[in-house]
Amino acid sequence: MAITQQRDFLSQIPPFDVLDEATLFELADSMNVAYLPELSKLNFEEASQSGYLYIIIKGKVAELQDEAIISHYSVRGFFGDSEILGKANKVSIYEMLEETIAYKLPAKLFMKAFDENNKFSRFFSASIVDKLNRIHRSIQSAASTEVMMDTVCSAHIHQHISVNEHATFLQVTQKMTEVRSDACLIEFDDGSVGIVTSSDVLKFVATEPHELLNSTDVLRRIAHKPVHSVHEFDYLFNALLKMTRYQIDRLAVRSDDGYTGFLHQKDLMSMFANQSGLVLLKVDQADSIDDLIQVGPQIDQLIHSLNRKGIKTHYIAKLVNELHRKMIYKLIEFLLPKELNEKVCIFVMGSEGRSEQVIRTDQDNALVYSDDVSEQELGLLDEFAAKFDETMQQIGFPPCPGNIMLSNPEWRQSLSDFKAKVDQWFKKPSDENFMHAAILLDGEAVYGVESWLTEVKQVLRKRQEDYPVFLRHFAIGVLQFNTPIGFFGGLITDNEDKQHNHIDIKKGGIFPIVHGVRCYALEAGVEQTNTHWRIKALMDKGVFTKEFGIELGETLNYLNTLRLESMLHQLSEGKELPNNKIKLSELSHMQQDVLKQSLGVVDAFKKRVTQHFNLQEMI
Amino acid sequence: MLSTVKSWIDKTKQVRERSRLKDSDYEFIFDDIEEDVYVCFDCETTGLDRKNDRIITLSAIKIQNNELQTSTSLNLVVKQPEDISEESILVHQIRNVDVVNSDFVYSNEQEAIADFLQFIRGTTLVGYFLEFDVAMVERVLKPWLGVGLPNPQIDVGDLYYDYARSQIVRSCIEPNIDLSFDHILQQLGLPNLGQHDAYNDALMTALIFLKMKQI
Repeated sequence: MAITQQRDFLSQIPPFDVLDEATLFELADSMNVAYLPELSKLNFEEASQSGYLYIIIKGKVAELQDEAIISHYSVRGFFGDSEILGKANKVSIYEMLEETIAYKLPAKLFMKAFDENNKFSRFFSASIVDKLNRIHRSIQSAASTEVMMDTVCSAHIHQHISVNEHATFLQVTQKMTEVRSDACLIEFDDGSVGIVTSSDVLKFVATEPHELLNSTDVLRRIAHKPVHSVHEFDYLFNALLKMTRYQIDRLAVRSDDGYTGFLHQKDLMSMFANQSGLVLLKVDQADSIDDLIQVGPQIDQLIHSLNRKGIKTHYIAKLVNELHRKMIYKLIEFLLPKELNEKVCIFVMGSEGRSEQVIRTDQDNALVYSDDVSEQELGLLDEFAAKFDETMQQIGFPPCPGNIMLSNPEWRQSLSDFKAKVDQWFKKPSDENFMHAAILLDGEAVYGVESWLTEVKQVLRKRQEDYPVFLRHFAIGVLQFNTPIGFFGGLITDNEDKQHNHIDIKKGGIFPIVHGVRCYALEAGVEQTNTHWRIKALMDKGVFTKEFGIELGETLNYLNTLRLESMLHQLSEGKELPNNKIKLSELSHMQQDVLKQSLGVVDAFKKRVTQHFNLQEMI
Repeated sequence: MLSTVKSWIDKTKQVRERSRLKDSDYEFIFDDIEEDVYVCFDCETTGLDRKNDRIITLSAIKIQNNELQTSTSLNLVVKQPEDISEESILVHQIRNVDVVNSDFVYSNEQEAIADFLQFIRGTTLVGYFLEFDVAMVERVLKPWLGVGLPNPQIDVGDLYYDYARSQIVRSCIEPNIDLSFDHILQQLGLPNLGQHDAYNDALMTALIFLKMKQI
């Protein structure tokens, strides 16, 4: 009865959770509770205070070396392990920033567990990727299962059937009836694949001469291409996104060795009996601006719950951005006069274009219209722009501080004017123009004639090749801000911050990665806009090694997660527009540890960019 | 002057008490009190009647150098002659089956108290509404050894009351100070460790005590 709580407490703290029950109990039962008043200090050089692992029940502790803070510990964090394991090259002093209550675990028992349990001891010498995966796994296993994040193969998959392109239509329908499938894949001789569905059969019977049923060259004409497919280990929400994006009812499921079956929307929807699937549909079914206004907070809730479940921020961002784009698409549909549909291209840029904005903090968008619009149509466009700007704010997208919005005539121009504008950027390079180029490069079309955006970007790429020096000046932005990590591996907090608590994680870590990867992508002609996809493409092209690419991607993911959590926290405190600062005192020791390693990766990446783009003499 | 008188009175009282002790094996309960060694304790009982209710569990934790020695805490469970009443189960959530399942169950209160006396030897007692817990122990102790608990006693409720009074600006209205356990924890910013059982209560009381000692 009595000490169960002590045992429970310890069993919830990684890595103690991997210990067998007997060892865990032995450790838990040996703990005393230390009361450490505010500002008191523990000096591990004094025998009476060392020899224990301290696990914090309540309070905040700073680790000091040579009077500089090198680490913070808070609830459920522990310290003293490096001293016990003899890993500390310098003796630390621990100062209680707040009144602290902590369990004291005798070193002898800690060492015993360390020596006896491999899994336990590995924890203290793991690499950054290991640690990150463990954080995600541990949150994921603790949380209830979220269907959205299940893999495709956990849903009901209809049997796979396929025929050769020379089969007859009759054979196809017989095969479909035989296995009760409503779709069949058609394998073409050139290696491509098409699909025939039951609605094609209906249409065929209704409109085509029936003697063609036995013809061998009908399938080539009727089969739909391309076949939209999803990998069996992909997340279910990706499958749902694909279905809504392409407005189809089924997806072919593939494994590494080929197609394995079909996934139906109705089977998928029956699994989404929760809010996350519903939000997706709500955006789809919205038919007024009021509907869209209501969706905003629901997306925020979804972000909250997905993050709590330990879903990687990259995936949350992907889902949320898909939703945001749908919202914007719907909004344009409501506001734009129909006759202008084919005369505009509207695109989002910056973090939205990269699909990396999770909390709506900003909007960057632009509009390109056809060169032959009439005076009257121009008037309609002006009206649309003003209304769009207003309603975007209503549905929860704050205005862009740099006014990079289609309501600004600078960003609402005819195709040729826009191209000329991009041309000007190269003729008159300035910091602002570099920033504009970067933002445009991340652009993704949302509405209208998508190819116009490609044309505009093409100008950018072409000019970049004409002016090789551009890329060097462009890349220097990576080094614009210092990485907040000291020579000895301690975190450096913002200068103006007296409490030594805040770090701007965007400037310090996220921006250098995003911009550096953008530079490499521009140089290598990678068209993707999302940083993770750019990294993947650069890995495929051999620009990055696989190890480096994965490390960079995971690091970015982690930094984005910290930023997201901090923003959610700020929102919950009632802040309307959260900033990019994270508070060190709110991070566990493990999180800080990984943050330090992450910033190490950022620093290494900066060095790489400096060398690659020859930036040494420009600094 | 006053303190001299007080200590003289205490001394006389103790001598008188000592002379009443029925069993000389227990002389040690009058041992000198060590400085900065405290025992925080709490009982769960069958009810609130100090004459007729009995101790079910008793937890005691030693405090020394700002440290709660939880690893050597004393946790006693006493076998009950009658089933535990339903109301008291609701308060402390000890069911009859828990008593039976405990690792070691004292067959009567006297044996349990004998171990408790060893545990608190030479220490100052600390508790929350300590007077009740002391009364429950003395209900066993007095008929058996003829004496009460001689250890000095500190009630964290009193400490908190004085502290809270000192925080309030003097006025002619007597302040209404909430002395409930949860309120005290909350006011002092101490973690509520959940579940009210003897051990947790003793632990939290000890934390209150350490904090009050700091202030």
